[in-house]
Amino acid sequence: METDQKKLPGLPLSAGLLALVVLVLVLVAPSDLAMRKHDFVRKGPGVTEVRMLSDWFPGIKGGRGDTEVYVLDSGKPGGSALVLGGTHANEPAGFLTAIVLVENARPEAGKLFVIPFANASAFTHTDYMEGEPRRFTIEGASGARTFRFGSRATSPADQWPDPDIYIHASSGQKLSGSETRNLNRAYPGRPDGTFTEKVAFAITSLIKAEKVDVSVDLHEASPEYPVINAIVAHERAMKVASIAVLNLEFDGITIGLEPSPQKLRGLSHRELGDATDTFALLMETANPSQGRLRGVTDEALILKGRDPLYLKAKALGRLFVPFDEKGSPVEARVGRHLAGLAAIFSAYTEEKPDRAILFSGLPSYDELQATGLGKLF
Amino acid sequence: MQQSRKLPLLLALVLAIPAALCAQPYKLAAPIAQKPVLLTSVGQSADVEMLKVLLDRSKIEYKYDIQVKAGGLAATGAKTIVVAIGGSSKGLGAAGISPEAELERAKLLFAEAKKLGVKVIGLHIGGEARRGELSDRFVQAAVPACDYVIVVAEGNNDGLFTKLCAAAKIPLDSVEKITKAGDPLAKAFK
Ligand SMILES: [Zn+2]
Repeated sequence: METDQKKLPGLPLSAGLLALVVLVLVLVAPSDLAMRKHDFVRKGPGVTEVRMLSDWFPGIKGGRGDTEVYVLDSGKPGGSALVLGGTHANEPAGFLTAIVLVENARPEAGKLFVIPFANASAFTHTDYMEGEPRRFTIEGASGARTFRFGSRATSPADQWPDPDIYIHASSGQKLSGSETRNLNRAYPGRPDGTFTEKVAFAITSLIKAEKVDVSVDLHEASPEYPVINAIVAHERAMKVASIAVLNLEFDGITIGLEPSPQKLRGLSHRELGDATDTFALLMETANPSQGRLRGVTDEALILKGRDPLYLKAKALGRLFVPFDEKGSPVEARVGRHLAGLAAIFSAYTEEKPDRAILFSGLPSYDELQATGLGKLF
Repeated sequence: MQQSRKLPLLLALVLAIPAALCAQPYKLAAPIAQKPVLLTSVGQSADVEMLKVLLDRSKIEYKYDIQVKAGGLAATGAKTIVVAIGGSSKGLGAAGISPEAELERAKLLFAEAKKLGVKVIGLHIGGEARRGELSDRFVQAAVPACDYVIVVAEGNNDGLFTKLCAAAKIPLDSVEKITKAGDPLAKAFK
């Protein structure tokens, strides 16, 4: 023992460093742990039940992948739909739209399932080296509402380590290791898989058990990404998506239509459509706060979407969406998602009148631009 | 009050009817196309799905083959090809086709159409989003082979379609919206 002691002259230094690490952890832990608390979501007039995703797959019960499923049942005959927000927790228009639905939508026909925080773990951390704020605040009608800005992926605290190569279970497709924590590469999921695969499996199970007719996964993408302001549709959902695009055009909203690539596996619009009978769709809006060309990443960028560097990129012809001084404000992005959902559900109802999915209580795109998002909170 | 409100409306109607009858809203002077119709794409974009809806709404029946090859054209019996112009990396990826292979298929298909006397109506409906490096290669390749082109105006902001059609003396009609493309398309048929 004595000899060992002599070999460690740096012991006091090590002990000091260790103490420092412990101190940092103690200081950081409360704010880190606070990120695990789900943002407040008000039960709106249409909510008939709040369930947990683990109801459809007990394997995630009580864990950090479990998440609220809001059920809005019209009590009238019709079809059913699932809206996923927060698949990627750094794409705020996705989960904000889901929250707006829960708090405001009134189902008129059929049944709506809404999961605002689909990858709940992704909300508990931000991506390091990105300099993103952890939270942002919207001045709501009922006071200031704060929301978390999370990561694209499951927290490493919940799933670690990443393999060098992520092999998608049912196809053998190889992707970079970090994609193993991406919910939108994990579908249809596995009951005995990773944390992320279990969440995906639970969502797939819900769709099967509830015979969900239409599933829409709400996303955002950086303005320099080619598939944006777009609906991506599984081939069975193509006709409904086409009608939705044309209906949106009537309302002055230009949205592109993209096929779900058959060979790109693990994505919701591919696997949910293949593994279940649901019409699987995904929508993208333009979010500069997740882009690679952005400058200062603060709350204003998240909410206003104004960035001088994106203006420059537009002038150089490098963007795939219109972009000007007005930026890409969250009202416009949520407005597009809401209008897109309404158009998709009404197109589906047009195609399958006996499986109608209709709801009211939501502002039109133009109304939302005039009143702002705060009015809805 | 009732009377005075109806009068301007009536007047407007009376003025509008002859105007609508006389107007030549489209550049295409006379119908050029005959059925049966084959619907396809150059660039494998999902815009072809929207053309399906437009054709359905115009009650024009069609056969659909997004990857029809020159060798298969005669067998379809088509007298007109309606083609959705514009590239999609997702669409090409989905079909497992390289842009080069797609351009080659288009070239051979259009040559075969010309040989068989099959008319080609090209539509670019994807607007600005369906332009850019990838799409423009398909635009450049497809437009000169068309007998008639309809473009949604936003996709022609830089005048590329105007230029290509003028050079090849192809009638070009520009519409404001995708939903407005169905009308000139239907009017192109005899
Ligand atoms: Zn996303």
